[in-house]
Amino acid sequence: MVRTKRWTAVSALAATALLVAACGGAGDDGGSGGGQAGEPATTAGFDGTTIKLGVLSPLSGPVAVIGQPLTSGNKVWFDHINSQGGIAGKYRVELVQEDTQYKPDVTVQQYNKVKGDVVAFTQILGTAPTLAVLPLLQSDEMIAAPASLDAFWVREPNLLPIGAPYQIQSINAMDHYLSEGGGTTDSTICTMIQDDVYGEAGQEGIDFAAKEYGFEVANTQRFKVGTENYAGQIGALAGAGCEMVFLTATPTDAGKIWGTAAQAKFTPKWYAQSPSFVSALAKSAVAPYMRQYVTIAAEGTEWGDESVPGMKDMIDRVEQYAPNQEPDYYFAFGYNQARAMTALLEKAVELGDLSHAGLLRASEELGTVSFDGLTGDYTYGPADTRNPPRSTTLFSVDPSKPFGLATLKYDFTSEAAKKFEFQKADA
Amino acid sequence: MTTFLQNCFAGLSLGSTYALVALGFVVIYKSTGVINFAQGGLLALGAYLGYTFSNNLAVAFAVAVLLCCLSAALVGATFERIVLRRMVGQPPFAVIMITIGLLFVLEPLITAVWGFEHKQVDNPWNIRTVEAFGLVFGVRDLWTIGLTAAVVLAFFLFFRFTSLGLAMRVTAFDPEAALAQGISARKVYATSWAIAAALAALAGILMAAGPGGLTPSIGFIALAAFPAMILGGMDSPAGAVLGGLIIGLAEAITRGYQDRLFSWAGDNVSVIVPYLLMIVILLIRPYGLLGTKEVRRI
Repeated sequence: MVRTKRWTAVSALAATALLVAACGGAGDDGGSGGGQAGEPATTAGFDGTTIKLGVLSPLSGPVAVIGQPLTSGNKVWFDHINSQGGIAGKYRVELVQEDTQYKPDVTVQQYNKVKGDVVAFTQILGTAPTLAVLPLLQSDEMIAAPASLDAFWVREPNLLPIGAPYQIQSINAMDHYLSEGGGTTDSTICTMIQDDVYGEAGQEGIDFAAKEYGFEVANTQRFKVGTENYAGQIGALAGAGCEMVFLTATPTDAGKIWGTAAQAKFTPKWYAQSPSFVSALAKSAVAPYMRQYVTIAAEGTEWGDESVPGMKDMIDRVEQYAPNQEPDYYFAFGYNQARAMTALLEKAVELGDLSHAGLLRASEELGTVSFDGLTGDYTYGPADTRNPPRSTTLFSVDPSKPFGLATLKYDFTSEAAKKFEFQKADA
Repeated sequence: MTTFLQNCFAGLSLGSTYALVALGFVVIYKSTGVINFAQGGLLALGAYLGYTFSNNLAVAFAVAVLLCCLSAALVGATFERIVLRRMVGQPPFAVIMITIGLLFVLEPLITAVWGFEHKQVDNPWNIRTVEAFGLVFGVRDLWTIGLTAAVVLAFFLFFRFTSLGLAMRVTAFDPEAALAQGISARKVYATSWAIAAALAALAGILMAAGPGGLTPSIGFIALAAFPAMILGGMDSPAGAVLGGLIIGLAEAITRGYQDRLFSWAGDNVSVIVPYLLMIVILLIRPYGLLGTKEVRRI
């Protein structure tokens, strides 16, 4: 009996010890402390020589078409950095990739799986997956770079966004239509948007521009992703006499929408948000229609334009580290994300702390990061005072170009875009 | 009136695609008592095979359509021969789970072979149109409607006038009696799977020939065609066609009049219309519009 009680006590102690160990597991920083400027101490995801970064991306499923080039962009940048010796010239970077399938629940699982092994996440792709892990990022004091252009990332301390948000794209597109695109405030201006957060972001920019410039949105058509037939929406836009339509969509839907418009001989001036386009569309039967009526609002310059320093460097590195990489908008996005993360890591090394909390502190001291013309320069610092780029590049569709886009107007910022204020998601 | 007719045409085209997919569901259900959840996967496979024939092997599009249907039929029959034949006599639930498994196998298989990139199928229709009576008709839509009508007619002639069609009807009606008459249930099951896969492939390549092109998510349309099968009656081929057309027309017309008539109900009423119709019709006719009412002895 005494023996049984003793074993019970030992078992209880062992269980308690295991429990304590488990509680201090994956999410714990695990830093050994004692780091100094330029010589950070070991911590979760950093063993003194190698920095591990998480990548949560859809590497399978329908959105892998975005996740794979984006991740390739991450890799090419860090391959380049590693060839220079690594972060601060001495710490190599290793990526820990996990497939999210673009599902928020899977993203949370994968985040929990690797969070104890990485210093930060250099990519979390998609609005819904990012929103799903945001509370965990906050409780873990983890920093992550979201691969989406939603405006409410700007004011989140745990996120490291890049690029001008969707709202800025739509405001600048409206400015162009009204100043150089032949439109006036009396023109019949319409929108066609996905019925989700991405669509609403585009619409928010248009509504802001409407107030600033004094026009009215005559008709808005919303659609569900994957809709097979767009005759109804196109009929409604044509019936409303739309002279200009701003579109937020993804490529498959955009192709069907423009195809239906071409068949219906509906020929307004289309401006479309960057994710609406993919190079395959420039080779499709819709291309002649797109060449004539479609303008894409995005950032940076056309693929292969070596007059922009960042593009020249990127093409050189693609040839060196990923020679089979096709020209791709999302590749450039991933490449730029990795650049922003590198700037943050350099700052953290400078401050001597690569722990999760250390990276958060470093992000507050991070100044303006330049992307050499591939995307607008981003002024980081405390989330409340961050200032994202307000610039947009407009492209026309040109099948002869590597990515099917030719620069129409490079890197401009409208007065209205400068006035747009960014809010937190819950504000 | 022009708007209404234009929306009706859009609905007929959409409904024809639904009808092809729903007919595939019904063929398998009627002969084996199993709902084939892999129908969307077979549709995607057929579309990608069509892409390979048309773009990579550069055969004429009409031949590519034929080849992709035959290839998909072969895949369907082979799957039945290798996997499902071992499940004869097992509970339908187990077989249904296997079809779900096939769906999950097909998706990564397709992306492993063809990748995730957006693809455009070389085809003679593209976005060409013809105009008549003040209406604009998409050539691809006309072909979709025409081919569906031809396939449905051939399907009914096959069932009505061929010995294999008769064997399939008898097996569906009473498998044991069919067996007693020397009808090979194995042959019937394999034929059912081949026909269903070919129908899915035809729907897939017709969709992929549109301006939206081809992505791995093309098979999702099977979810929208599912209410068509239920609405028409799960064991009725005619019901599947009728259900597909009703759902397609209802969706297109609701979408066309969204702003004028349905704005009070939100922005995407057309998306829920198929399911609302399904619920309403099942409340009135639990076996669907043309489904067989189950007879029970009390």
